[in-house]
Amino acid sequence: MEPGMRQGMIRTIAVALDCSPHSKASLVAAAEMAVRLGAELIGIFVEDINLLRMAGLPFAEEIRQYSMTTGKLDEAQLERLLRFQARDAQEQLQRTAEEFTLRHTFRVLRGMVPEELMSAAPDADILVLGRSGRSPSCRKGLGSTASTALREGKMTVLLMRPGCTAAEGPLLVLYDGSEGSMRALGTALAIAGPESLLHLVVIDREPDAEERSRQETLTLVEPSGLQVEYHHLPVADGRQLARYIRMIDSGLLVLSDRMNLPEETLRALVNDIDSPVLIVR
Amino acid sequence: MPVPQKLTPTQLFNRCDPAQFGFETTAELDGTTEIAGQERALEAIRFSMGIRHDGFNLFALGPAGTGKQSAVLHLLNRLAPCAASPDDWCYVYNFEKPRHPRALRLPPGRAGQLGSDMERLVETLFSVIPAAFSSEEYQTREKEINESFQEQQGVAIEALERKAQSQDIALIRTPGGFAFAPTKKGEVLKSEDFMRLKQEDRDRIEAEMGQLKDALQSIMAQIPKWHRETNEKLKELNRDVAGFALKPLIGEIRSKYETLPEVVSYIDAIENDIIENFDQFLEKEPSPQELFMGGGQPRTGSKGRYFVRYRVNVMIDNTNTNGAPVILEDKPACQNLIGDIEHSSQMGTLVTDFTLIKPGALHRANGGYLVLDARRLLLEPFAWEALKKAIRTRQIRIESLAQLYSLVSTISLDPEPIPLQVKIILLGERTLYYLLNNYDPDFNELFKVGADFEDEMERNPENYLAYARLIGSMAVREKLRHFDRGAVARVIEHGSRMAGDATKLTTHLQGICDLVHEADYHASEGSRALVTAGDVQAVIDARVHRASRVQERIREAMMRNTILIDTCSEKIGQINGLSIYSLGDRNFGQPSRITARIRLGKGEVIDIEREVEMGGPIHSKGVLILSGFLGARYAPEQPLSLSATLVFEQSYGGVEGDSASSAELYALLSAISGLPIRQWFAVTGSVNQYGEVQAIGGVNEKIEGFFDLCSERGLDGRQGVLIPASNVSNLMLRQDIVKAVEEGKFSIWPVSHVDQGIEILTGVPSGEQDEAGVWSPGSVNARIVERLDAMTKKQKEFDSDLENDDEEKKS
Repeated sequence: MEPGMRQGMIRTIAVALDCSPHSKASLVAAAEMAVRLGAELIGIFVEDINLLRMAGLPFAEEIRQYSMTTGKLDEAQLERLLRFQARDAQEQLQRTAEEFTLRHTFRVLRGMVPEELMSAAPDADILVLGRSGRSPSCRKGLGSTASTALREGKMTVLLMRPGCTAAEGPLLVLYDGSEGSMRALGTALAIAGPESLLHLVVIDREPDAEERSRQETLTLVEPSGLQVEYHHLPVADGRQLARYIRMIDSGLLVLSDRMNLPEETLRALVNDIDSPVLIVR
Repeated sequence: MPVPQKLTPTQLFNRCDPAQFGFETTAELDGTTEIAGQERALEAIRFSMGIRHDGFNLFALGPAGTGKQSAVLHLLNRLAPCAASPDDWCYVYNFEKPRHPRALRLPPGRAGQLGSDMERLVETLFSVIPAAFSSEEYQTREKEINESFQEQQGVAIEALERKAQSQDIALIRTPGGFAFAPTKKGEVLKSEDFMRLKQEDRDRIEAEMGQLKDALQSIMAQIPKWHRETNEKLKELNRDVAGFALKPLIGEIRSKYETLPEVVSYIDAIENDIIENFDQFLEKEPSPQELFMGGGQPRTGSKGRYFVRYRVNVMIDNTNTNGAPVILEDKPACQNLIGDIEHSSQMGTLVTDFTLIKPGALHRANGGYLVLDARRLLLEPFAWEALKKAIRTRQIRIESLAQLYSLVSTISLDPEPIPLQVKIILLGERTLYYLLNNYDPDFNELFKVGADFEDEMERNPENYLAYARLIGSMAVREKLRHFDRGAVARVIEHGSRMAGDATKLTTHLQGICDLVHEADYHASEGSRALVTAGDVQAVIDARVHRASRVQERIREAMMRNTILIDTCSEKIGQINGLSIYSLGDRNFGQPSRITARIRLGKGEVIDIEREVEMGGPIHSKGVLILSGFLGARYAPEQPLSLSATLVFEQSYGGVEGDSASSAELYALLSAISGLPIRQWFAVTGSVNQYGEVQAIGGVNEKIEGFFDLCSERGLDGRQGVLIPASNVSNLMLRQDIVKAVEEGKFSIWPVSHVDQGIEILTGVPSGEQDEAGVWSPGSVNARIVERLDAMTKKQKEFDSDLENDDEEKKS
C-alpha cells in the first residue's frame, strides 16, 4: 500500500483526554499513529455536566478519597478545577504533539461525556479513548464512555489501556471474509508500524478457510511488505476467542463491528480482552 | 719508687696479622654474615620472641649503627618462617549497624577469595534477578495480585454503584473524590428540577444518599487495608522470586565457607539484604544523578555507591605469607600504625564507607613481629599512645585522629576492633630506653625485655672472621671490590682504634661499613681489582685530614708561639697537660700549658678555672683532691701554710674532666719543690688522694696531638708522654708514632703513681720514706717537705709578730 493511500484513509485522529492514565496511553498511541499516517490530532476534553449539576445541588457533598472526610462541593471551585484539568490536558497534548511534530487542535466541551465525545469530532477518522477513565470503580471491563462509544459510535474507535503500545507492536486482525473484516484488515495494514508482525485469525468453521482467506487477502497484504501469520480458529464463541487471543499475546486487536459475529459476542470479546482494541467501522 | 720502663713499640699498637686468616681475599668467604659479639642482646631477643605472654615486647637499646636492626631482622627472619601464617582479615558491611563495619577472620588466603566470590555474585545477580523478574510466571503472578486488588475494590464500588443506580442515584467521580447525585434518565438532576420535587421525595433522596455515603465511606476505609495486603502479597512474591533466583548462587558460596560460622552468618545477612533490595539489581543503567555523583562506573567496578555494601575490604591477605610476618615500619605515624579511615569527596562533602578503611602496620604484623624505630615513633604525634593502647588492649581499634580531635566533622565509621597478637620490637638509643623507663609508667609493663647491644666486642679470631664476613657479604650484596686479607686486617685494627681499646673491636658496624665503602672507592680510583691495606690506610688518613682543619689551626698557633707550648726547656711550676677537643664525631688531642704558683697561705689550692666558673664540676673535684693529697702526705700534723693557684693557660672555652689532675699535681709539686719540669714531656691522667694515677679517656688522641706538635718542631729523642699505666691496653696508635718509638725518637711512659711521674719529669728521684716518715734526702718529696716546713715556720713567725704587735697595742 502506498503511503498516499494510507494518508487518504485516515486524516484526523481524535483523542479523548481526561488526565487519567488511560487517557495518557491513548494520547501516546494516537500520536504514534498520527505521525506514521501524517494525520492531524484533535484533543477533546469534556467537562462533565453531571458533575457540575451535582455541585449545584443544595446538599452536594464530596467524599474525599484519601481522608474519607466529607465536604461541601462548591460549584465555582469545581469549575476552576475543571479548567485546571482542561489546561493540563491541553499541555499534555501540546507536549506530545511537539515531541512527535504533529498538527493538533484542542477542544473543550461541556455536556454528557460520551455524547459530547461522539459529536465533538464527527469528521475524525479514528477516536482514541481509554478503556476506562476516571470512573469511581477501578473496573476491569469497559468504562461507561467506552461502552457508549462502542455501542453508539459511528467512527472507528481505538480503546487503549496504560502499559500497552498500539500500532508499534504486533497486531491481530479478526477475519471472517466479511466486508467489515476486510476493512479491519485494511485499517490494520494502514496503521501498522514497519516492523510489526500481523496475526490474521480466520474465524470460520470451514476446514479450508485459511487457504481461502490467504487468497482473498493476498492483494491487500502483499504490497504492505509486512510479515503476516495466519491462524485458523473454527469457533465463534466470545470467551473462547478471548482466550485464544490472549494465548497469542498479540498486542493490538483489530476487528470490525460489521463482521459475521453476533454483536453480543463482539461486545463480550472487547470487554474481556486486556489488550487495546481497534473497532473499525 | 722505681721508674717504669718506656713502652715498647708492640705495646703501642695491637697489630692484626693477616697471615692468621685462612683466606686470601673476602671473595673466598661464603657471603653470609653472623652477628658477633652481641650474645647478651641476642639472648634477650630470643627470649622475648619465644615467650608468648603479654608485655614481653622488646626494646633493643644501643648506640646508632651497632647493627640492632640487622641483628633483630636477621633473627626474626630465621624464626618467622617456622611459625604458622596468621589468618586473613577483612572488613565487611554491617547490615544491622552500618556505622560499625564487621571484621571477619578467615584462614590465610581466603579473604581475597571471599572478595572475588562476592564480586562475582553481584555481577551474576545483575543478569539473574532481572531475568527472574521478567519471567512470564512472575509477570502473571504480579498482575494477578494487582488485579485482585483492583477487582476487590471494583466489585465493592460497582455493587454500591448498582445499588445507587437502582435508587436513581449516580456515583460520580469528582476531582478530589466521590459524590452522589440523584439522576433522571441517566442524567444528574439540575438543582431547579430537584427543588421542584416534593419535600418527602427530597428527604427520601437525601436519606438514601446519606446511607450510600456511609456505605462508600466504609468501603473506602477498607481500601488502605486492601492496599497494604496487596503490597504485602507483592513483597512476598518478590521475596520468593528473588530468594529463588539467589538461592543456588548463595548456596554455592555458603558451602565454600561452611566451616566458618562468622562468614556464614555474613552470607546469610547478605542473602536477606539482597532479597529485601532486589529492585536495586533491576535498574538497567545508572540514573543521571548517579552518573553525576561519580557512581556510574561500569558494573564491573560497582554500580553506584549502593553496591559497595556487598564488597569485601580485604585488610590482610596472607596468601603469599610464609610463616609469621615481619614488618618494619619506617614511618610509624599513628595512621600508619593502627590504620586509617579515608574519605572521598562527593559534591563537596566528605563521605566514607567500610571499603575506605586502610590497614596499618599493626594489621600487617598481626600474628608476627613489628619492628619500629623508637625515636621516630616518639616523634610522631599520638603514635606512641596509640601503640601502647593497642598492645594493652590487645586489639586494633581504628580511630580517625581528625575525628577524635574534632578537626573534621563528617560521617565516620567505628569499625569493629581486630584482636591483636604481635611482638613489638623497638630499636633505640639507651637514653631513650632509660627515659621511657623512668617517665612512662606503662613502659615497664609493655616492654619487659631490653636487649642491650654492646659497643664493643672481644678481639679474637672468631670476631676477626665476623668482620671479614661482614666485608665479604657487603662486597657481594653491594657489588663492591673484595678485600685482600691485609685490608681486612687493617679494618680490624681500625675497629680496635674505634673501640679505643687494643683488646676490643667496635660493634659500630655502620662505621665499618662506611670505611668499606670508602676503601672500595679508593681502590676503584686506583683501578685495583682488590681493596688492599694501603687503600684502607689511605681512607683513614683522608678522613683524619678532612676533619683536621681546626686541629691544624691550633697547631699552627702553637708553632708561631701564639699559643705558648714549650717542648724543649725546663720550667718550675709549668707542665704540658693534654686535653681532648670534640668536634662533631671527631676527637683530637692538643697540649695545654698548666702552671702553678705558690705563696704563703692557709693551705688552699685555688683553681682559677673554677673561680671564674670556667671549670666543670669534675675538674674542680680533681683539683680539690690535690689539696687532699698534699695535706695528707706532706703536712699531716701541721698546718699547710701555702696557698697555690692553678690555671690552664690560654684556655678561653672552659675545662671539664679530671684527666689533667696529675699534670696539675706535678706542676704544684714542681712549684713547691722548686725543681723544674722537663717541658719535652706531656702528661695525662687523673690522680686520687693517695697519689695513684688513674685511667682517662681518649689516650690515643692525646698522644697523637702532642706527637704531631713535637714532630713538627723536630723529634730529638727526649720527647714523650706520660700516661696512666692502666691506659696501656687502650693504645692503638698511629703507625708514624710506633715508628718514632721504634727509632727511639719518642717515648711513652706508663705511670701508676705520681712519685714515678715526678721523677721522670724532674729527673730527680722522688724519694722513699723511712720508718720515721723522713724522705730520702735530696729527693723531690724531701724538698717539698723542707719547703713546706719553711713556709710553716715563716707563717708562725709572721703570726707571732702579728700577735706581739696586737699585745703591744693593747698594753
